[in-house]
Amino acid sequence: MSEALLSTHSLSLSFGGVRAVDDVSFEVMPGEVFSIIGPNGAGKTSLFNLISRLYDADSGDIVFDGQKISDIPAHRIAELGIARTFQNTELFEHETVLRNMLIGRHVHSRTNLFSELLFLPSVARQELAFRQVVEDVIDLLDLQSYRDQVIGSLPYGVRKMVEVARALCIQPKLLLLDEPSSGLNPEETEDVSHWIEDVSQDYGATVIMVEHDMSLVARASSRVMAVADGAVVAIGAPQDIQNHPEVRRAYLGD
Amino acid sequence: MRFVLKTRYQQDINLFLHNGQRFWYALLALSVLAAPWFLDRFFLGELSLVFIYAIAGIGLMLLVGYTGLVSLGHAAFLAIGAYTHTWCLQRGVPLPLSILFAGLLSAVAGIMIGRPTLRMTGIYLAIATLAFAIVVEQLIAHWESVTGGYRGIVVPKPELFGYSLSGSWPFYYLCLACVTGCLFLALNLLRSPTGRALAAIRDSEISAQSMGINLANAKSTAFAISAAFTGVAGALFAHKLGYLSPDAFTLLTSIQLLLMVVVGGLGSLHGVFFGAIFIVLLPQLLAISRDLLPAAVAQLPGLEPGVFGLILVLVLIYEPLGMYGRWLKIRQYFSEFPLYRKSTHKRQKSYLRTERVR
Repeated sequence: MSEALLSTHSLSLSFGGVRAVDDVSFEVMPGEVFSIIGPNGAGKTSLFNLISRLYDADSGDIVFDGQKISDIPAHRIAELGIARTFQNTELFEHETVLRNMLIGRHVHSRTNLFSELLFLPSVARQELAFRQVVEDVIDLLDLQSYRDQVIGSLPYGVRKMVEVARALCIQPKLLLLDEPSSGLNPEETEDVSHWIEDVSQDYGATVIMVEHDMSLVARASSRVMAVADGAVVAIGAPQDIQNHPEVRRAYLGD
Repeated sequence: MRFVLKTRYQQDINLFLHNGQRFWYALLALSVLAAPWFLDRFFLGELSLVFIYAIAGIGLMLLVGYTGLVSLGHAAFLAIGAYTHTWCLQRGVPLPLSILFAGLLSAVAGIMIGRPTLRMTGIYLAIATLAFAIVVEQLIAHWESVTGGYRGIVVPKPELFGYSLSGSWPFYYLCLACVTGCLFLALNLLRSPTGRALAAIRDSEISAQSMGINLANAKSTAFAISAAFTGVAGALFAHKLGYLSPDAFTLLTSIQLLLMVVVGGLGSLHGVFFGAIFIVLLPQLLAISRDLLPAAVAQLPGLEPGVFGLILVLVLIYEPLGMYGRWLKIRQYFSEFPLYRKSTHKRQKSYLRTERVR
């Protein structure tokens, strides 16, 4: 196997006396769909926030694509090729779907303020090129009919899709999905596993997702990591993890 | 109702969406160009003032309506623009350059206040900008060698290539040219990446950051551009006043500017113009209502700020989208005539934001 795309080494984070993430080390290979499962409060989202640099780790390293990212600022993460979604969606509520997705292209913008103020041809060209990428993602995720709608007026399921679409517009190497199926009905959850497959195959993006729906995890992911109380319980193939005695104990108690 | 058939991506980045819009804006442009032939001196002067306020309003709207940062200190930028302009004119700098300098120096001041307040939002930012405005006001009052202090200074008459622009006609066209230019720049900004970044910051800082937007830079940019526009407005305002003293740039002026963007409608450039018209008409309305009110009430010293505050609160409660929001509703009522439903614009509560990352 080739070298890991993302690896963490003894990552730890505490909030006061709570060890949210406790000495977590794992590796994610390029092209993988890697799921993180665990009971509520196990530190899954904290782990995501560490990788996307919204939190500073107390100790440990994160290495992405051969580069140590644990001390670069949060706004440079997207530039390196890591995109994420949020558990309860963090979209730009007063903007249209199209403009939300165009913000995903922000890291690829090469125009400066003065050319933008005058809207020089270079800016117009760049806008059209951005639009092309956005339209490809719209086609992939079937968002055509929502293009000009304002986020505030959309149902929750669509918002979740738009958030994924916006992340894909970055054209990331690594996509972090925080509970892609939360708040979705069974049919929509079924769709999630299909587009995750599309994303990892058509876009060649590696996916790490936090997920509670075990059937989705089993269908979509190549490897699973179970965490409990901030620490890694087990890493392995989906069916192994489901039958792992430690994992069962973490969920069900002794 | 009109449905626009879009066949090219270019259509979405054009300034005008369809020919209907082109027609109405052309008509508007013609009527403002022809206005001096139809309006007398007084109304022409008032219209120039509307344009000046609109320039400042565009600046403030970019900050408050598009970036979501509240400022109670924009009178300071207006003052910096006005005094810089006057200082330059006194030293023989040509008018266009001098207006440009006024904008630039204001932008620098904008960065100076924007940088240290990066982490502030809402009421705290309002307080910080308010403090900044008071500092600037005091500075103007005491830096007598430049500003003339409370004695004030006379603003030189505007001149361009030897022609005087101080008459009501030429000055009207000067204001019109400036407001058109500023509007053009603002519209361009809003349809390019930086403009979108500002809106992103307004709606969710956390995800703006994850999308690769550098919050510190984007917010400073917003402050700088906002201050620059307001500075240009200040330069024109100086000519309108003819005589500068610190009394012209008090807290009341800042509130007036904020009132303009809120009453006009946050988050729209149309709103700026509605708000500017409102702000210019308001003193006239107040003067008329003074005659009608009992003498004891009419002579109260705090009547004006009181009315400003009352309007601000009422608009925020009953029509948060301001006059432009109301205008959209009226337009929709007529375009869908028998089918309009009041509940279309009913405000919805969102219960989704439970676990926000901070």
